Amino acid sequence: MGLPDASGDLSSEMEVDAFRRLFPLRYFERHLSESIRPDARPLGRARDTTLALGAVASAHGSALAKIGSTTMLAAIKMEVMTPFNRVTGRRLHWPAEAAPVISKQLSDTISSSGMINLKELSLVSGKAAWMAYLDIYCLDADGALFDAALLSAVAAFSHLQIPIVSLNDDGKIELISEEDDGAKLEVEPVNKEKRKLTLSSIPFSLTCILHKNYILADPTAEEESIMETAVTVVLDSSSRLVSFYKPGGPVLAHTSAVQDCVALTRQRVKELQNILDETLSGMEID
Amino acid sequence: MASKGGAAPSTYTHAPTNKTRRPPFFPDSDVDWLRSDGRGFHQCRPAFFRTGAVNSAAGSAYAESGKTKVIVSVFGPKESKKAMMYSDTGRLNCNVSYTTFATTVRGHGSENKEFSTMLHKALEGAIVLESFPKTTVDVFALVLESGGSDLPVVISCASLALADAGITMYDLVAGASVSCLGRNLIIDPISEEESFQDGSLMITCMPCHYEVTQLTITGKWSTANLNEAMQLCLDACSKLAKIMRSCLKEAASASKD
Repeated sequence: MGLPDASGDLSSEMEVDAFRRLFPLRYFERHLSESIRPDARPLGRARDTTLALGAVASAHGSALAKIGSTTMLAAIKMEVMTPFNRVTGRRLHWPAEAAPVISKQLSDTISSSGMINLKELSLVSGKAAWMAYLDIYCLDADGALFDAALLSAVAAFSHLQIPIVSLNDDGKIELISEEDDGAKLEVEPVNKEKRKLTLSSIPFSLTCILHKNYILADPTAEEESIMETAVTVVLDSSSRLVSFYKPGGPVLAHTSAVQDCVALTRQRVKELQNILDETLSGMEID
Repeated sequence: MASKGGAAPSTYTHAPTNKTRRPPFFPDSDVDWLRSDGRGFHQCRPAFFRTGAVNSAAGSAYAESGKTKVIVSVFGPKESKKAMMYSDTGRLNCNVSYTTFATTVRGHGSENKEFSTMLHKALEGAIVLESFPKTTVDVFALVLESGGSDLPVVISCASLALADAGITMYDLVAGASVSCLGRNLIIDPISEEESFQDGSLMITCMPCHYEVTQLTITGKWSTANLNEAMQLCLDACSKLAKIMRSCLKEAASASKD
């Protein structure tokens, strides 16, 4: 920032694109002072968000979440195991240093939100239970990775269809294939009723960038790289705070800024809940 | 499976019980049998291609052929790592990976370790490596769902992604495979058919040049069958290349508007 004045003078003659590359912060601040962002969004607006359920047929539940061009593919595979206190394994696949951090945050958020009732994953009490493997792949990274990852995970869990199994003579759990379903079932399925998980209090999140007095909701990768202070708020569907992350950064958040972030998240949770509900009801009509 | 995830408890999956049955097919007779998806023996699955699936990459493509779904991102050309020797020509770095949920049994996709080198070998000949000296182009392929004939789909999709990234090539590379089941030749086999095959043949070629970049043959083949299979593959490749070319043209005309 050695040449703030010089850049100000130059900017009138310089090409917009060159200005954006050479003085990214000034470029952004000019937009912010007009309460607009370079992609024409107001400061508090999140990017267009879409969900597609059942993107991968080989998994028991899957969802593709898109926030702007950030794309996450989450899929769940169910396997049988002997009961154990922890029931979900989560892995995030993204070839970068951010992956373990997001993976840990996601794991904490899902388990502390109480979204999944682990008792529902039990098959034969004390003998057999489901292990749900949740794997998330980042197909395209353009900011707000945690938000997209959580959205895809939540959507994959709501799409999850638990396979029907039965106990065979040796006391082992056996999978019943879909085609045999119905007439010629010699063995009684163990879990005919419980094919879907009841998700209570679904968590949704919003990441905001703090810069000076501005709060930018749902940042792009470019915005994240220029303005480094991010705050991620996770609220559940009844607006209770699940997690709050502010991993350092040069900007110290005032309590008022924190309140503003929570207020923005509350709005966003409603949006996301609607998107999820619409996607799910769209599935049922088919 | 037990070793997965360090201290994770051991789990097990059973394949659905009907998987153990042989398909309705008799190796030494001419009895007609149907393919499980209702295709003719010499009929490919409908192919779908789209470029520009990943914004953060220099070029990308998504391909879908039946249940097989593949996404390929191309990065670069960028400066080769310092440790590398000086090179007048560009380098190509390929990586093929499977998602853990791509196969019916979780994590089986990691068995296809040779696919990365095979993708490299199939593309190498088609790229004008002299056009980007001292630099490296990275090709990352991710198989989202494996439904059979994965490698030819990956190779076709990767050549499309390279074209999308503006890497100079002699021609697009299209791939196709044929499985030999008894006396019958079936093109573009699905996973189930691949598991029962007696032999398989894969050709990747540059249809405009009529040049083959890769040819792999495994299993038991008679010369007559082999000739027929090669012709089948080459025909399929040239048809596939037309679809790929029209996908590129569409993307180019869309970006002009």
